[in-house]
This record gives sequence, structure tokens and C-alpha cells, in this order.
Amino acid sequence: MGVRVKTGRTVLAATIGLGVALGVQAGEYPDLGPLPQLKIDAAKAELGKRLFFDRRISGDAGISCADCHKPENGYAHPDALSPGYPGNGHFRNSASLVNTAHKNVWNWDGRIGTNLNDMTREMLTEDYIMNMDMRIMQERAKQDPVYVKMFKDAGYGEPSNGSVRKAIPEYLKTLTSKNAPFDSGKLSPAAKKGQALFEGKAGCIQCHNGPMLTDLKAYNTGVPENFDVFLDPMNHQAFLAFVMFQGVPDYMNMKRDPGYYNVTLEQQDMGSFVTPSLRELKYTAPYMHNGMIGTLAEVVEFYNGGGGKDSRKSDKLKALNLSAEEKQDLVAFLESLSGDPLTGPGYVWSEEYPSEYPVIENWRQVRN
Amino acid sequence: MKLKKYTPTLVAAAIATVLLAGFSATTISAEGSAPALAPLGDPPIPPDNLQTPEKIELGKLLFFDPRIGGDASTGCSTCHEPDQGWAWAEDFSRGYPGTVHWRNSQTIINSAYFPRQFWAGSASSNEKQAKSAAKGGVAGNGEDDIMEARLALIPEYRKRFKEVFGTEWPLIFDVWHAISAFERSLVQKDTPVDKYLQGDKSALSEEAVRGKALFEGKAGCIQCHNGALTSDTDYHNVGVPPNIRWEEDGLAQITFRFEQYAKGQTEEGYRSAKSDWGFYYRSKNKWDRGKFRTAPLRYIAYTAPYMHNGVFYTLEEVIDFYDRGGFDEEGRTTAFPENKSPLIKPLGLSDEEKADLIAFLEAYSGEEIMIEKPELPEYAPLFTKAELEAAQEAK
Repeated sequence: MGVRVKTGRTVLAATIGLGVALGVQAGEYPDLGPLPQLKIDAAKAELGKRLFFDRRISGDAGISCADCHKPENGYAHPDALSPGYPGNGHFRNSASLVNTAHKNVWNWDGRIGTNLNDMTREMLTEDYIMNMDMRIMQERAKQDPVYVKMFKDAGYGEPSNGSVRKAIPEYLKTLTSKNAPFDSGKLSPAAKKGQALFEGKAGCIQCHNGPMLTDLKAYNTGVPENFDVFLDPMNHQAFLAFVMFQGVPDYMNMKRDPGYYNVTLEQQDMGSFVTPSLRELKYTAPYMHNGMIGTLAEVVEFYNGGGGKDSRKSDKLKALNLSAEEKQDLVAFLESLSGDPLTGPGYVWSEEYPSEYPVIENWRQVRN
Repeated sequence: MKLKKYTPTLVAAAIATVLLAGFSATTISAEGSAPALAPLGDPPIPPDNLQTPEKIELGKLLFFDPRIGGDASTGCSTCHEPDQGWAWAEDFSRGYPGTVHWRNSQTIINSAYFPRQFWAGSASSNEKQAKSAAKGGVAGNGEDDIMEARLALIPEYRKRFKEVFGTEWPLIFDVWHAISAFERSLVQKDTPVDKYLQGDKSALSEEAVRGKALFEGKAGCIQCHNGALTSDTDYHNVGVPPNIRWEEDGLAQITFRFEQYAKGQTEEGYRSAKSDWGFYYRSKNKWDRGKFRTAPLRYIAYTAPYMHNGVFYTLEEVIDFYDRGGFDEEGRTTAFPENKSPLIKPLGLSDEEKADLIAFLEAYSGEEIMIEKPELPEYAPLFTKAELEAAQEAK
């Protein structure tokens, strides 16, 4: 499962080669189903939780992970485009972090296919995201006695940037869907009909399969560009910084999000994005890589029309001719994939952070 | 010049030092070896970054533009504020939001004359200094990509960079060139001392003239503060004590440890350092611990506080420090007394002599250089909606 930088193109080509649009065969795709249990180290996860909500782990101490991945929004953000670091905007929708520990490919363009440690590093250090010099991050953590104790209790020894990148992923494991009707077998009649459509006539399962309801591969579905990426210089500068860094040719003239193309630099991948999970959608509107679709009903309508307009659009997408009732059933099924909101104290750090860094007493005598 | 107090031993010491240390950064000035004070000429202009009015004007905009920094809040002028002597009037420079710096901000005025920049000389040109400051974690914390992207979205900059550098899009590389060109326009060479040295004997007060004699003689300042720059541009440990703020300020303690990484330190050094090791971070020689570049004395009327860590807020304190042989009023000195320059010895200055010295030092500052801050050009979208719609249509 999953797009890897090197093998992605072959996998993608093979998938497209299946050429199935309608009349999907049962058993052809990984089963939908509950997520596996993850083993979680409580002390490490607790540390990760404090870090996740701490603004001091961004360059200017202005934003935390949770400012773009908000608990009440399914650890995504309600704006079409993520806010980004102070001083710039962003060019993509903030993806939900619920169940992110169950993935092996991250980012809408699939550019990280290793582990959440690397993904955490990417988010912390990229100039348009958190712009953190991790040497400073480490020293900030060492200056806070609460962290000094928590790192030690978690078995990490003294605070280090390497341990930050381990503790946050440990916390992210706790953000796993809980009590979704789909998982507890409590589907409404409409949702049951919707599931049948999902796996059959509507063909959603071609890409949205397995426990996460995603194959984690990249496709072009023709989602229209979000012009705010280019018309708002705050967003555009983040986009430019990104494509410049990725080595995308002719980036100054680029008027579209290249998607998976920035990984492969193959034209066929232009405008492809990794299939998102369909879990927790109830909380994570708006949808798509650029937040261009506001509601699930509109998403269903988009696919009912065979997706958007793009010469490289996946041939899995065809007009579906769903009735109004079928569309409602599909939405009911999608909604059954959302569980309890993960907004309680088990998930959210609620204690205050110190307003300034306590001084290390007797500084001249103690070792750094 | 009269340096009788030092002459015989120091000549021997100087020879020994040269023999032992070879190309050691420290050589000891003895009688006759220190370049005489001289009026300041024009600054050297590097052949690969010649001055033009357009480049200087562009550099001025960039110098004041906070978008040349991480979160678009801190530009060069944030820590080199014209109203604060083109420096920052606290012991440590203010830093990037969420941080504080760990050294004193130095004035931009006359920086053009120095072959190396920063207190330990880590940048070999203004261009490299500008880049390093804009990108450093406790300074500008800017990344090339985002800064260059911002400039591309400011039509006025696109126009000016094309005119000055001939590129289609502004390049971050050229930002440092333009800023340096502006900095090289910020010089002051018409101070009372310059006029005096050019023959206008009325330019200095009697006190200042007496102070000059002390400077060149009994007080021995000229051993390091010499030539037209009032600096030998070399590195010395004069005994400045560590800033007490590191013992009292959590934010400063964070930066202190970060700098041990950023400047390059051993594990043991990181664990044990309790003061700024200065030139050591470049040479990695233990005898360079606590050495800093001789600060120029020009424009100092406007650039308090003084020393690499800003521990002295007045010139009086500085003079007292040297008069005591490199100790502050509480008797504190460098954390590396073994490296303390033998040039630093108690001076035995009277109150009147101290006042005379200060009169002379103050005469190294002319009028305060003020400037009207430029209005900064604004962002504008690069594409029209119609262009984006056409691109969408063509997908």
C-alpha cells in the first residue's frame, strides 16, 4: 500500500491499467474495516501531546501544530487553505491527523513515504510551516522543567530534537477513530445502502479502500484549482517557496498545483493527489487538497459528474448517474465513518504553558 | 607616541609571541608598531559589487524591509535601528521573535571599512554578514526560498532588481549585494578627530587634545585602537566579564546553549561553557577563548551599550574598566584570564585624565546620521484571474 517516491509511478500505472469504473467486483480491493489497534507508550504520548499544542516549537513561538490541526475540526482546519506560518499563507488544505499513524504516505502530494518522524521534521522545519531551527527547539525544551521531567519519564533522557520527533508521532497514534458507527456495526439503513453503492455502482472503493478507506496512491480527479493560492500573495509566496525547494521547473509561471508531479517530475503525474482517508469527514470540511468543495453532498455531486476537467484525469472517473436518494445514501455512509470527536483531555493538552522560560538557577555551577 | 611603560618587556614578548604562535591572530603592539591615528578615507568597494545610486536605493528598501526575515517581522533595521545608532540600545541585540540574541548589535555606520564582520569576524564581507544575519535562528531566521518568493510578488522589486542586476526575477543572492551597497553609503569620516588630524587644530577641545595624548600614551588605547579605523581589526581578550544576564534570564540561557551548537563546539564545551568563547569558535584554539575583534571607536556616542556583550552602558564605565586593568567595578573579568592580553594593565588614570579621554572618544562621533525610512513597496498578485481561468481551461 502506498506511493513511494521510487515505485509510485509503476504502481500508479498498474492501477490505472485495471480500467475499472463501474460494476466493481467484490473482493477486488482491500476490505473496508476497523483500524488495527496500535501499541502506545503512555508517557511518550503524553509528552507528544504537550509538544503538539505548544507554540514554542515554531520559529517565532507563534503557532503550534494544533493551530493548523485543530481538535474540534478533526485535527484539520476549517479554512480551505491552511493558515501556514505567520508572515505567509499556505497553498493546500490542512489534512486531518486522525488516523495519520495508520498511514505510510503523507502530504497531499505523497512526498514523504518513510515515517512520521520524518513528517514531523518536515512540518517543524519548513519555512512556510513552522520555520523552526531545531537546535533552538531543543534548547527551549531544556529550559522548561516540565519538559525536562517528561522527557526523562518517557525514557528519552534529556530533551533533544530527535526525541521531539519521536514523541509527537507517539501522541499521533492516540488520534485514532473511536466509536465510528461503521466500526461498531451500527449503520443506518441509508448508510448500508450507501456502502453498497460505495463498493459497487459509485466505484468509490477503487481508490478508497482498506481500513483507512484510502489506497494512498495519487490520482488526478480534476479538482479545480483554488485561485486564492495564486491571487493572494501570502499564499502564493508559500507555494513558490515550496515548488522552488522541490525543484519544479518553471515554477514562477506555474498556475496550478503540481501535486504528485513534484515528487516524480513526470508530466503524467501533474495534478495528481494522494487519495485521502474518508474517516472523520464530519469534522474536516472543506474537502479536497485545496478545500475547493465545502460539503460531502457537493463532493458526491462532483464524482457523480465524473470528477472535474483535466486531460490527465484518471479514467476510473466516469459519470455515475446516481439518483438523489443514492447520493443521500452515499453521504449517510460517509458520515458513518466519523466517530467521537477527539477533543477531551485525553487528547488535548489543557494545562497552561509558562508565559516565560524559567531561569536555570545556579547557572554558573550546573552543566548545560 | 610614548609607551615607555611597556616598551622593553613587550618587545620581547611580541617577538616571542610571533616566534611561538607563528600566524597567531594576536600580535602585541609595542612602541612604534601601532599605526598612527589617521583621518578616514573612502571605504573600499569590492570590484564585484560596485556602487550605483539605483543599487544603493534598492539596498535601502531591503534594509528596512521586514519581509527579509522568517515571519516578515524582522529586517536588518529591526536590530540596526537608525534611532539607536544603527545598532540596538540593549546589552544583547533583540532577536527574532521568541528569542533574544547573545551579543551586542554593532553599528552599520562605517562597517564598510572592515575586512571582516561580526564580533569574532565570522563573515568576510558585508554581503556575507547580511546573509548570515537574515538567516540566523536568533536574528532574521529567514530561509532563502520564502524570502526570494516574497520579492517575486512585489512588482516594485521586480522592476528594480531587473534594472540593477538584470535578472528576470529578484535573486536572494543579489539582496545581499544591494544591502551591502546601501551599507557602504553609511559612512562618517568628518568627525572632529578627522578634521583635527587633517590639520584643523581648532576641531578638538583642549580636553580632547589632552585625551588624545593619553590615548596614544599613558592609557595605551592605541595599541589596539589604531589607524584610520581606530581598530587593528584583530582579536584580543581584554577581560570583559560574561554578561550576568545569562544567570538571570531563561530566554538568554536558551540562546547561549543554541549558540554553542550554531558556532561549533565540542560536547564538553557545550556542557561546560559559561561565557562567549569568541574567536575560539572560528579558530578552535584554546588560546583564542574570550577574544573579540577590536571595536572601532567611531560613532560610539550613539551606540551604547558597549563591548561584545553590552555589559557597559557608558563610556565612563568602559574607561574605568580599562583603568582597573580589565576588571569591572565588582572585580569581574574574563572567564579566560589565561588568555587576557598582557596589554591590559591598571592605568592609574586620574579623574581628570578619564574625562579627557572621554572628550577625545566623543570627538570620534560627528552628527548623528538619520534617515527617512522608505515607504516599502507592496505585494501584488502575479497573475490575473483571467490568466488563471485560461490555465484551468487548458488543463
